[in-house]
Amino acid sequence: MKRLVLLVVVITLAFAAVGCKSTSDHLSAIKDAGKIVVGTSADYPPFEFVDEAGTTTGFDVELMNEIAKRMGVTVEWTDMPFDSLIAAVQEGKIDASIAAFNYDEERDKTVDFTDAYYTTEDSFTVQEGFTGDLSDPMNLANYLVGAQSGTVQDGWITDNLVTPGLLPEDKYFRYERVDQAALDLQAGRIEVLMADYVPAQAVVSQFGGMTIVYHGVLSTGPLNIVVPEGDTALKDEINRVLKELQTEGFVEELAFKYFSE
Amino acid sequence: MAKPILTIKNLTKKYGENVIFHDISLTVNEGDTIVIIGPSGTGKSTLLRCINLLTCADDGQIWLDDLEITAKGCDDDRVRQHIGMVFQNFLLFNHLNALDNVMLGLTKVKHMKPDEARVKALRELERVGLADRAEHYPGQLSGGQQQRVAIARALAMDPRIMLFDEPTSALDPELIGEVLEVMRKLALEGMTMLVVTHEMGFAREVADRIVFLEKGSIVEEGPPDELFYRPKHDRTREFLWKITELYGKKDENK
Amino acid sequence: MDVAKFLQYIASGTAYTVGVTLIALPSGLILGTLLALLNVYSGKTSKALTNLYSTVMRGIPPIVLLFILYFIVSGSINLSPFLAGSISLGIVSSAYQMEIVRGAILSVSGGQMMAARAVGMSKRQAIRNVILPQTLRLAIPPWSNEAAIVIKDSSLVYALGVPEILRRAQLISASTQQPFLAYAAAAVIYFILVFITSRLLDGLEKQLRIPANP
Ligand SMILES: Nc1ncnc2c1ncn2[C@@H]1O[C@H](COP(=O)(O)OP(=O)(O)O)[C@@H](O)[C@H]1O
Ligand SMILES: [Mg+2]
Repeated sequence: MKRLVLLVVVITLAFAAVGCKSTSDHLSAIKDAGKIVVGTSADYPPFEFVDEAGTTTGFDVELMNEIAKRMGVTVEWTDMPFDSLIAAVQEGKIDASIAAFNYDEERDKTVDFTDAYYTTEDSFTVQEGFTGDLSDPMNLANYLVGAQSGTVQDGWITDNLVTPGLLPEDKYFRYERVDQAALDLQAGRIEVLMADYVPAQAVVSQFGGMTIVYHGVLSTGPLNIVVPEGDTALKDEINRVLKELQTEGFVEELAFKYFSE
Repeated sequence: MAKPILTIKNLTKKYGENVIFHDISLTVNEGDTIVIIGPSGTGKSTLLRCINLLTCADDGQIWLDDLEITAKGCDDDRVRQHIGMVFQNFLLFNHLNALDNVMLGLTKVKHMKPDEARVKALRELERVGLADRAEHYPGQLSGGQQQRVAIARALAMDPRIMLFDEPTSALDPELIGEVLEVMRKLALEGMTMLVVTHEMGFAREVADRIVFLEKGSIVEEGPPDELFYRPKHDRTREFLWKITELYGKKDENK
Repeated sequence: MDVAKFLQYIASGTAYTVGVTLIALPSGLILGTLLALLNVYSGKTSKALTNLYSTVMRGIPPIVLLFILYFIVSGSINLSPFLAGSISLGIVSSAYQMEIVRGAILSVSGGQMMAARAVGMSKRQAIRNVILPQTLRLAIPPWSNEAAIVIKDSSLVYALGVPEILRRAQLISASTQQPFLAYAAAAVIYFILVFITSRLLDGLEKQLRIPANP
């Protein structure tokens, strides 16, 4: 069965390779069309989420809309699960993706990253009344831990705690989304939730009964927009606009709007 | 001089290594009713299926009128239109009522207009005494009625010859009579028929010739009187004796 | 938070779910029926090939197949995720529907074919006029089951970015932090869809049932 899946995956990749297009005139194609198709996973407030009107919004979304505006195009938003985004960029199903991506060496092999547009921190969230000691982040290994799968936090826990054998697999829980993890934290199925600091604050304020006992830079850091591998024209154009927005203070204002409760 | 409708010459059939029958030769003349008898597993059904090209003979030839139907390039489907077949277990089309069962071949195979086909189908149902059951589905008919519809279905195609494969052996005793009655009438009307049956009363009364088949070959054939009262072979006598033992009581009831 | 609005947002994913099902189920039926006919009536090679198809397709989780087919299908033609997802699900379903139809064909007695041929019908005519009408009737109850599975599996296209019910529930769950409400709404909609479908097919089966004496 495993071998069969492997076989089909190989076949798919072969097809996918054939499907790859030259990226040299990608940017001009976008400008000619007057629209850029951007993928995100709108289940990660406050970076990207759906509002009451059913519109996709959030820090990333507003930022990308502004970038596009200054490129002279409009954004066509495509929502898909976080795990599908990189593949979609790779396959040319979408032109770019913004979804609070952190730079990641593995990912860099298949797609490219723009300059950073914001820098975040990691955080540990626990139930109020938690008596453990997390002053040293490595102490995380002593608890039941949860994180969102596919995120840099997941990568950090796997590389630093699980693989070295400090944290047994059965004490580590991966969730598709942060809110699922928060529910399990509330129910006591996990003791510590490791997540991006900003959404963690949102979780704490919305769920109640939780508190953040640690925040700092472990895995995370700068957030970047994902563009197709080797698409320097598009990357440079986005970087140019980003610099403009940063000097004007637009990004800071946006961060204040979304991240300060 | 009687005209042969069906001519079988040195026919052999095998399933793999298993020889079902070999070197069978038989002629059926226009208007004849030939009855085939023989123990179970002798190849009687297989012989009928070969004649109808539902299965392929391994050797030998069959002619329908002047056409060699075993020849290469012969259109099987066209041949079957001209050979009516009635099965032991009726095999009516379960999803169609009696009328549609009879009509289907007319509209699909003979490409008759539905109106014409309906008139013809009703006439055939009348012929077997079931015009009043036209709207009934097979599941709503008795076994005897189903078999009569099956006969009407075959007759509707205006076949040159009718093959019957033990048409009454799946029926309750009280239903056998109505089917034999229809067959008797057909024989009187001059229909050419090849009938596998163990209804000895019917055979004695209606058959022009009886063929005794055993272990894949024809042991003896002749007019009923000869075969019943002066069989040439002991095996024929034994078989007939066994058959009357088995079926005789039923015969007396009629 | 306006609960009514959020529920409405989730409910409006129903159009996608229904759309995906309405494409996947019939295309799977047509493909599955053809495969079943090839399997039963078309010689040893066809039988082996269709059996292989069925085994492979049913041996892989639908979501994996969906991704593979999506990338293959829309690698050659530029299809929207909605169409590509629907067709892919149809292909997944065709393997299961092939088994359903095959089972039904085999339970229509071989004699029916023989009787049809004896009247002078070609194999093709016999299949169309005698075998399929009976087969498809027999297939309705198991097919109703498959319809329910396809309705539920239609949620998988969310992975390709189609905003159907489940995906919308996820988004609402994330933005409201009210997972129970969001998923309960999705569950109710799925249940209603499956319920209506199975009722309709029950009705169809009764309508088409061949009359018989009790
Ligand atoms: N499709 C088949 N494949 C292999 N053997 C068969 C097949 N059909 C019939 N036979 C064999 O041929 C022999 C004759 O069968 P059949 O013609 O039905 O006999 P009868 O009708 O005289 O009782 C039997 O031994 C039976 O097992
Ligand atoms: Mg027999």
